[in-house]
Parts: sequence; structure tokens; C-alpha cells
Amino acid sequence: MPPDSRASRRATRVVAAISARRMVRSAGLWGAVFGGYIAYAAWEYATSYPTVASREKIALTFGTNAGFSALLGQGQQLATIGGFTAWRAMGVLVPVGAVWAMLAATRLTRGEEDAGRLELLLAGQTTRRRAVAQAGAGLAAGLALLWVITAAATAAAGSPARIGISAGSALFLATAVVTGAVMFAGVGVLAAQLAGTRRQANGIAAAIFGASLLIRVVADSTPGRHWLRWLSPLGWAENLHPLTSPAPVMFLPIAAFTTALAAAAAFVAGRRDMGAGVLPVSDTPRPHTSLLHGPGGLAVRLDRPVITGWAAGLAILGLIGGLVAPSAARAISSSSAIERTIGRLGIQPGSAAYLGIIYLIGSALICFAAAGQVSATRAEEAGGYADHLLARQVSRWHWMTSRLAASTALIIIAGLAAGLSGWAGIAGQHTGLGFAELAKAGLNIIPPALFVLGVGSFAYGIWPRLAVPAAYGLVAWSFLIELLATVITNRWLLDTSVLHHIQPVPAAQPDWTSAAWLTGLGTLAALTGTGLFSRRDLAGA
Amino acid sequence: MDAAIRTEGLTKVFGETRALNSLSLEVAAGEVFGYLGPNGAGKTTTIRLLLGMLQATSGQAEIFGIDCQHHPVEAHRRLSYVPGEASLWPSLTGKETLELLGRVQAATDTAYRDVLIDRFQLDPSKRVRAYSKGNRQKLLLIASLMSRADLLVLDEPTSGLDPLMEQAFRHSVTEARERGQAVFLSSHILSEVEALCDRVAILRAGDLIEVGTLAQMRHLSAVLVEAEFGSAPPDLSQVPGVRDVEVQGNRVQCQVTGPVRPLLEVLAASPVRHLLMREPSLEELFLAIYGSAGAPGEVSRAA
Repeated sequence: MPPDSRASRRATRVVAAISARRMVRSAGLWGAVFGGYIAYAAWEYATSYPTVASREKIALTFGTNAGFSALLGQGQQLATIGGFTAWRAMGVLVPVGAVWAMLAATRLTRGEEDAGRLELLLAGQTTRRRAVAQAGAGLAAGLALLWVITAAATAAAGSPARIGISAGSALFLATAVVTGAVMFAGVGVLAAQLAGTRRQANGIAAAIFGASLLIRVVADSTPGRHWLRWLSPLGWAENLHPLTSPAPVMFLPIAAFTTALAAAAAFVAGRRDMGAGVLPVSDTPRPHTSLLHGPGGLAVRLDRPVITGWAAGLAILGLIGGLVAPSAARAISSSSAIERTIGRLGIQPGSAAYLGIIYLIGSALICFAAAGQVSATRAEEAGGYADHLLARQVSRWHWMTSRLAASTALIIIAGLAAGLSGWAGIAGQHTGLGFAELAKAGLNIIPPALFVLGVGSFAYGIWPRLAVPAAYGLVAWSFLIELLATVITNRWLLDTSVLHHIQPVPAAQPDWTSAAWLTGLGTLAALTGTGLFSRRDLAGA
Repeated sequence: MDAAIRTEGLTKVFGETRALNSLSLEVAAGEVFGYLGPNGAGKTTTIRLLLGMLQATSGQAEIFGIDCQHHPVEAHRRLSYVPGEASLWPSLTGKETLELLGRVQAATDTAYRDVLIDRFQLDPSKRVRAYSKGNRQKLLLIASLMSRADLLVLDEPTSGLDPLMEQAFRHSVTEARERGQAVFLSSHILSEVEALCDRVAILRAGDLIEVGTLAQMRHLSAVLVEAEFGSAPPDLSQVPGVRDVEVQGNRVQCQVTGPVRPLLEVLAASPVRHLLMREPSLEELFLAIYGSAGAPGEVSRAA
């Protein structure tokens, strides 16, 4: 082999190795979440519905309920552990995996290019097309790890006799669960080649995901529209029917779709300019300077797409929740296990209970948005952007409090959007829930996010490099505790979850005292963080 | 009148590293001051201390008499800064960036801003993302110069500029000096410093090792001599004050410190065909200092 060709191969392997290394940690973490979730779903079903009668009752209820079909897809054989576990696992993990893989794909391709790191590699012994292929190989390594961990956990959880899921079936379920991630990794890689920036790539990929999800929701919740599932990649995944009536033939469209996306991405990569996409990006837009008066206005201006995205996402969650709440409530009322779960939350079953759960999910999402704000603040400093303001007539205190004000506004807007859209969804359905209850539900999810923002800002003031892991870590920890809340008995442990301190409004009255504590402590932490930030060295990346 | 910059024993320690060691320096109002040193010498650390972005481990720093460590915003009212890294918000256009930075600084001369946009040939309608590194640097220079601040703090401001724009930059600094503005210029481009600066300071590993005018520095250093002879050259190595003698055929190169008379007497008695004597360039001074500077802390004040 000629030496330059060897060097070229080594260079391309570098891209694959870097991508794989950057995937390993998050793939491992998500693998643990996926495996844990499946194991927990199977265990919970076996424990909560020990008799045939109780299982048949739950199957009858959920199998015909449009609200739950919209949320999780059409269930099959819900009177069996396998059927119920597969329904929950596929309904939750396929879309979660899709979003994760989509964002990872754009980060590893377009993100590297936007940051100028890919340019360094391309100046060496590799080509754009090969670099994309190798980034894809790195992604594939991450997906493989996700699959291995999920499969191992599923097989382990399925082996006890009372669960009784065979190793083969467990592998099939694990494979089906990661198909969402595989397909949308492909979507992300292609979007990254089409778009001019990573943000635009994420927008394209998110639009494709949103359309797929919407088609799947309509297909599963509207009688006679099941054929629509064939139009959605998420529908193909659902049609795999793991653990009930496995249809391996559905891997064909999934594999063909992914291969086509990868081939198209490689094709486009070889034909476009470095740093540019195929789709037009206007580099000379009309100037808009109305917001550009200081750090707060700048933060709003830069984060406008993020604010819109979160507000829209939470509004959609609220709207769908509101629309399907009455029918979902009927299902809840006939399920003794869910009633017990809800009973532990101290609420009465009904539309309000369903919405209470939906808004708890919303509160976790809005906490992620708050952590994202901490990350954006850190990025302004690490990237050297903050220097331009802080070397002028902007004090550290002014800079930080303005950013905090903008972040608080984002959190409030997102919370209110969730509340008001829930009201829009439920209006006219005679549930007895009015504007005031839903507005309170929206307000109720704001304090935990303000607390996360405060804790993140405090960490930022002391040790900037710790701020982002601290904020995301707190949210992930709280989410984990909530996921396992039904099996955790230690009160202290439960109290470490920020989400545990709010009530499932509108099913219960908001706990204004807790809300005031969360908001007060969050504010205090944020202001202390600001004070510390004013006294420390500015730190680069 | 207060000095534009005054530091006294200014020290910054990062963990185990002493990035800046007891810097005492004064830059007069209206003076163009060059700040030199190799990578990692402490130039940017000095500037970030002056801007209040880093907290000093010990010592004081003042901008026009204002303690810039404790009252940075008041100090910033009198200065304008151009960072070495041209990282700007990629989604804003040039015009939006200038508008924003203009609004958060003490003053903006909009007429002068338009002159500068013209002079630096910048198209402000484009997004920053679409600019080359040089264009981003121009944008930062315009934002700073348009403030007409009493002190311009420039951290390697021309690293991405082409020769034409380098001329435009020199023109702008000369203009600033004529208006009585002080300029603190950290740079690697020694010809630029040589052309623009009244005084120069040289830093090594956090220590100030030289400060003075170029003329003063040159007096301290050797004169370079190149001579070509009609026959074999005489032995110059024994002549008082002469060192680093290099002989190539009939050509000789050497350096002379102190009086040149003994060398001239030897040369006058030899068949010299061609003789060149010149003072060292700043680059040669710089290299000589880095090749032979004394122990850290030994400041040579050429004043």
C-alpha cells in the first residue's frame, strides 16, 4: 500500500474514533436508561397486575383508549407482560432515542464543521465525503453500544420465570426500541449536509421528526386511519410489534430509509462547499436592532429560536394533553393499578389526574430548558463573546442579572404556554376544568425550573466549568427519582428531586409554600452566584 | 494629569504559574505604547487585568487614575478594547454588532464610524458568520476606534489583516495619536510597533525585561557592521567592542558595542570595497533580548 494512502486511512479513522469517543458516554447513559426503563416496566406490570382478571381489565381499557394510543401508540396483547412492556417501551423510548440520535448526529457533523474543527482534519489526509462516512461510523458505534446495553438489560430483566421474556424476544425488543435512534441519526446526518448551520440542521431534522410523530399520533388515535402509519418512520417502528406479533419484515423499510439517508448525505457532502449547505441561508438579512441595547436584549435576540422552540414544544404537550384528557381519564378510572399510583400522588382519577401527570412531564422539560439557559450563559463567557460587553459599560452584575431576567422570562413564557394551550385543548369538553385551573397548572411548573436556573447560576459563579454538568445533573437526577418514585420509600431521597416539591396540578391545588421556597431559594442562589461571578476571573473554554 | 495606565507591582498567579510578576509600568496620556513578548509571556494577562476581567493576585492597576480592579466600569468609560480572538456572535450582522457595541460603550462618533467602514472596506450588511477572520477583526477595530476613547487597548489587533488594511490600521492609530488618544498596542508584528510606537516594553515569562524608546534601546545594543574587502579581511575579533565576527570569503559581519572608533581605524587601514553600518531593527533587538536576556526580574530601564 502506498504510504500516502495509509496516511489517508489513518486520518479518516481519526474522525471515526473521535466521533465514537464523543458518543460513548451519552450512549452508555441512555443505554442504561433504556434498559432500566424496560426492566422497570416489566417488573411493575408483573407486580401490579398479578391476576389474569386484572390483566384483562387493563388490556380492555388501554387497548381501546384513543388518549393513550395517541401518546404511546396502539397497544397489542396488553393482557400479557410482553405486550404491555413492549407498548410502554416502544411508545416512550423510540421517540426519545430518535431525538437523542438526531441531535448527536448534527453535533458530530455540522457542529464540528461550524466550530472549524472539521476544517483542520479536511486540510489533512481526508475528504469531506469520507469525513461524513467516518462520523457516521462513529455514530453507528454509539448506536451499537446503546443497543448492546439495552439488549443486555432487557434479556436480564426478562429471564425470571414470573416475567418470562425469552432471550430472542428480548433482543428483538431491544432492536426495535433503537430503530428510532438509527433512523433519526440518518435524518440528522443528511440534514447537517443540507443546512447551512447546525441550528438550521436541527430545525430540519426536528420538522421531520415532528411530522413523523404527528402522522403516528393521528394514525393511532383515529379509527380507520391505521394505514397512515406506513407514511411515518415512527409508524414503521411501531409495526415491528415486538413481544406480541413480531414482524421482522418491517426492518426492511427501516434499513432502506436509513441507507438512503446515509447515501444521500455522502452524495451531498461531496458536492457542496465547506462551511455552506445546499439550502440557502441569507447572509445579508435586514438589520433588526431594536433588542440590541444591552446584555438582556442580546440574550433574547440570540435565544429567540430556543425560546420559541421550548414554548411551542410545551404548548403542543399541553394542547395534546388537554385534547385527549377526557378519554384518557376514562381509561384511568378502570385501572386499579393506575388508580393506586395516582392515589399515592394524593389525587382523584379523572381528566385532572391525567393532566396532572402531563404537567409533571412538562415540569421536567421546562427544567431542561432552564439548564439549557445556564449552558448558554457559560458559552457566552467561554467563547469570548461576553468580553465585548464586559470591556465596555456593562458591569458583571448587570450582564448576569440581565441574562437571568431573560432566562426567567423564557421559563415563565414556556410555563404559561403549557397552561394556556392545555386550557385550549380541554375547552368545551365538559371536564369541569376551567381557565383558572389550567393557568395554575402552567404556573405550578415554573418554580422548579427557577430553582434549577438558580443552582446552575450559583455553580457558574463559583466554578464556571462545573455549571453545565451541575444544572443538567440536577434535572437528570430529579427525573430519575420521579421515574422510580413508586419504589422509593426514603423520604430524604425523594426530597432531593426538585420535581418532588410540586403538586400534580390541576388534579391537586398548587402548594404555594413549596413554590415560594423553590422560587426564593432559586433567586437567592442565582443572586449569590451573580455576586461570586462579579468577583472571579473570567474563564475561557 | 493622570497617566493613561499605571501599574504597581501587578502580579497574577494561576495555580502554580506566575503569569505576571510584579509589573510596574506607566503609559502617558497621548502616548502610543508597544507591548511585546513571545506567546505566553503575559501580554494578554496584563490586558485582562487592566480591564478587570482577571483579579490581581497583588499590586494595583489604574486607568487615568481610576482603580480598574475595583471600578472596572468607570475605568472602561475612558478606554476601548480590541481582543486578539475575533469571536463575535455569528448570527448578528456587522451593522447590528456595531449598533450593539456602540450602545454599550461610553460614546460613539457615528460620522467617524462611517469613515472607518469606508476605510476598512467592510460590508456591514453581512452576518458575522459570513465574514473572514480579517473582516471580523476589522469589525472589532471599527467598534473600538469609533468610540474615540482616551485609551485604546489593542491585543494583537492586526493578526488577520492584509497589508492594505494594515496601512488603514496604521493610519487610524496615527489619527488617534494626533487627537491625543493613548494607545496600548500588544503585537507580534514588530515592523508595526516600530512604525507606530513612542515607547516599547518587552515581557518575558511574566517579567518586564526592557522598557524605553526604540532609540534608547538601540543605544544599549550593538551596531551591525557588514564589510567587503578587496583581499583577505583583517582579523577583527581582537578589536575592542567587536563581537560575533563571521567571515565568508572576503565578507565580514560583526557587531560593535560602545565606541566604533577602534573598528573604523582598523577598517581604514584595510582595502574596504563596501561598508554597511546600521542600527538593529526591533526584530533584531527582540531576538537579541530573547537570546541573551538576564534572569527574570532584572528590568533594564532604558529611560
